[in-house]
Amino acid sequence: MPSPSTVYNSRNPEMPAPSSRVHWCCCILLLLAQAAHASDWKISAKQLADKIAAITGPGVIAIEVNNRSSLSAAESDVIRRALIASLGDSGVRILDPNQAAGTVHVTLSESLQNYVWVAEIQQGIADPAVVIVSARRPDSRSISQSSPLTLHATALVSQSDPILDVALLEGSPRRLLALSSSQIAVYEFKDGRWIAGQSLAIGSAAPLPRDLRGRIVLRKDHLFDAYLPGLACRSANTAPLALTCAHSDDPWPLQWLDAGGVSAFFAPTRNFFTGALVPGIGRQKSAPAFYSAAMVPRENYNLWILAGVDGQLHLMDGINHQTLGKVRWGSDIASVRAACRAGSQVLATSASDDGQDSVQAFEFPDREPVAVSQKLDLNGPVAALWTAPDGANATVVIRNSETGIYEASLLNLTCVQ
Amino acid sequence: MKRLCSILLASSSGLLLGSLAFAAVRPHYGGTLRIAIKDAPQNLDPAILAEGNSGNIARLIFETLVQLDERGHPQPSLATSWQSEAGGQRWRITLRSGVIFSDGTALDATAAVASLRSANPGWKVMRNGDAVVIETDSPHPDLPAELALLHNSIVRRGGQLSGTGPFTIAQWLAGKHAIFAANDHYWAGRPYLDSVEIDFGKSDRDQAMLLDLGKTDAAEIAPESIHRARAEGRNVLSSEAHELIALVFDRDPQSEDELHARNALAFSIDAAALNNVVLQGGGEPAGALLPNWISGYGFAFAPDAKPEHVREERGQIKHSPSWTLGYDATDPIARVIAERILLNARDAGVTLQLTSAASDLRLVRLNLASSDPHVALNELAQSLRLPAPKFADGSVTELYAAEKSLLQTHRVVPLIHVRSAVALRPIVREWRTLPNGPWQLSNIWLGAEKP
Repeated sequence: MPSPSTVYNSRNPEMPAPSSRVHWCCCILLLLAQAAHASDWKISAKQLADKIAAITGPGVIAIEVNNRSSLSAAESDVIRRALIASLGDSGVRILDPNQAAGTVHVTLSESLQNYVWVAEIQQGIADPAVVIVSARRPDSRSISQSSPLTLHATALVSQSDPILDVALLEGSPRRLLALSSSQIAVYEFKDGRWIAGQSLAIGSAAPLPRDLRGRIVLRKDHLFDAYLPGLACRSANTAPLALTCAHSDDPWPLQWLDAGGVSAFFAPTRNFFTGALVPGIGRQKSAPAFYSAAMVPRENYNLWILAGVDGQLHLMDGINHQTLGKVRWGSDIASVRAACRAGSQVLATSASDDGQDSVQAFEFPDREPVAVSQKLDLNGPVAALWTAPDGANATVVIRNSETGIYEASLLNLTCVQ
Repeated sequence: MKRLCSILLASSSGLLLGSLAFAAVRPHYGGTLRIAIKDAPQNLDPAILAEGNSGNIARLIFETLVQLDERGHPQPSLATSWQSEAGGQRWRITLRSGVIFSDGTALDATAAVASLRSANPGWKVMRNGDAVVIETDSPHPDLPAELALLHNSIVRRGGQLSGTGPFTIAQWLAGKHAIFAANDHYWAGRPYLDSVEIDFGKSDRDQAMLLDLGKTDAAEIAPESIHRARAEGRNVLSSEAHELIALVFDRDPQSEDELHARNALAFSIDAAALNNVVLQGGGEPAGALLPNWISGYGFAFAPDAKPEHVREERGQIKHSPSWTLGYDATDPIARVIAERILLNARDAGVTLQLTSAASDLRLVRLNLASSDPHVALNELAQSLRLPAPKFADGSVTELYAAEKSLLQTHRVVPLIHVRSAVALRPIVREWRTLPNGPWQLSNIWLGAEKP
């Protein structure tokens, strides 16, 4: 079991920056994927050439290739050349239509699931013969980044089950807990990647709400607690790792460190905090219902920013309650600390519904947010954004819009040199 | 290199963003979604409802063991897994636990077996412990996709029909009005909406007026009005072109003469003009039963009018036939299309007479029942009373051969595939329409009115 006092996921200064590593990995993966597709296309082109040659036999034909699919012109050209080469291997030569015994119209088409390549073979005045090959359409992925305080995303784990929260456990080996609706998956870091290991089942008698949310909180007297709406789970404090879950309306901790122990009640059949606070923010014991909260420490008090269910930002300092009606953020916010800056920053998701989700860092010099980073564009909508246990980083979970896979990453801010 | 990667990555992200809409604001619970539709169903029994917007409403109440995703791939619903045995003739299906019908009883294998037996007399459906086993006479590689069809919804038939869906019936005035309340015990989580209210039997004009007055949140848009609705600034979501408009003969050709006359008629119809003029570009000319987006080869069945082929076929007709062409008299677009076909037929030497009664050939509109191409073709063949295609390996080549074989019966002339569409008020979020038309309403929520 790791020491409870350790902070996790600090970066080894001798290693390349995580964001750069992720970026390069993504580039390499993408290029490998492109290369793999090119290889698949050669196989499919060979299959189509064989089918064409079986009808035309060795001889001279004219060929025309049209692309009506999402393949690029360059890809279409690769396929055309592969097709002509394969036809040549079968003894079929390509010439102009006026010198050819037949004409082959090849159309690169596609359906929902497949690339569909159709060859219509016209010989003489008979109806054209039609031959078809198909190949599965692939998936792809993307990532991007921005500045002046620069927001970096370091990929952690991904899985098809929705991830509600993740927590990193330092030790040897390093471990990571991924909370989902039915289990907590335990990953171990081996050979440079996270390997799924033990899973701890979560039993829930009642259906869990849509837009499910959950939280893992590392503890000192035992390893961790996990919170889901209407449910609380507690890990064993001795090996082997085990989990006990029970119906519970206990409040969820809002912040990890130095937060004055503020917790909030979560609506058991909904996706938001009710606004009831324990013990409260200063004298304020309740707030409007909210989705998420971030704390910005001041010299003599803590300023809390709540992303309200009413779509507005609420500022609470223990005495005053202020609404920022003109600021439009998304529903998820979390506080972080950039090493090179005084005070805390607040990460906020975008409120736009234009098909692009993003996270941006802000500071509150007074009571209005000021952007201190550019937007970090994400591959899909944010499913969860929570402050990490060290208070310096945050964990974000997105649902990849293309693959549908849930991807957890660690977000941290670095300073532009 | 870094720049190259960014370009590649950015271009790939552009592909994905077009297909999915999402908001970074978390969904709000509460509110009532109001929908107006033209259909006026007398009940919501999935066994007798056709795919279409009545079917979409039925899916609020009833669910299938499997559902198809946006790419047409089977995904778990009331079943959590399935596996085939005996070369695809036997399927073993594991049910989801903890699912409750609206009458309070639990979903179990006995209930699922009874429901599937009722919907599929040709299948042998059995209980095997907690699982359901389905046996068919021949290999059935597409059975999971077939289980996603509306008529395979799992229904408990007692005094009233009970389903397991995200909503329950709170009020039902047959053919007029219905209110559906959120199912608090829904296995996939209570819907965000408190209720859905449906006004049935509303004409296109009534629906547009209700939308303009803010008295409905969603209204159907006819294919011929999609372009205009967008030009007027309405928020319109449309499907792929999925509804087949076709001419269907009631019997096989009885002579060579009749065969040539049918060919001449088929070649004479200008489907492109029908689509551009009558439907205002709300569809795509069709030469095949399945649209290209689902088969990938639809373009190979060229739909263009061919005067030289018309002349060739007409020259081989010894006795010009006179046929009656039936159409749905309640569908104004069907009448306009039928009238234009009547004019085209004259060029083919065929005399047509319009009727809304029994006829030699009919103008039909058929929704694509599935976004799985094999299941969709099978259902179309059944609706058109054509021989059922047989599939063994699920390949595109096999599908093409089956469709070509159906078209060679000369019983059906595909004309156009048309889109379906809805216009939504801006507060409606997460309304999803699958490519072949079905609405996915369980994730809808209502945002705040914009000032």
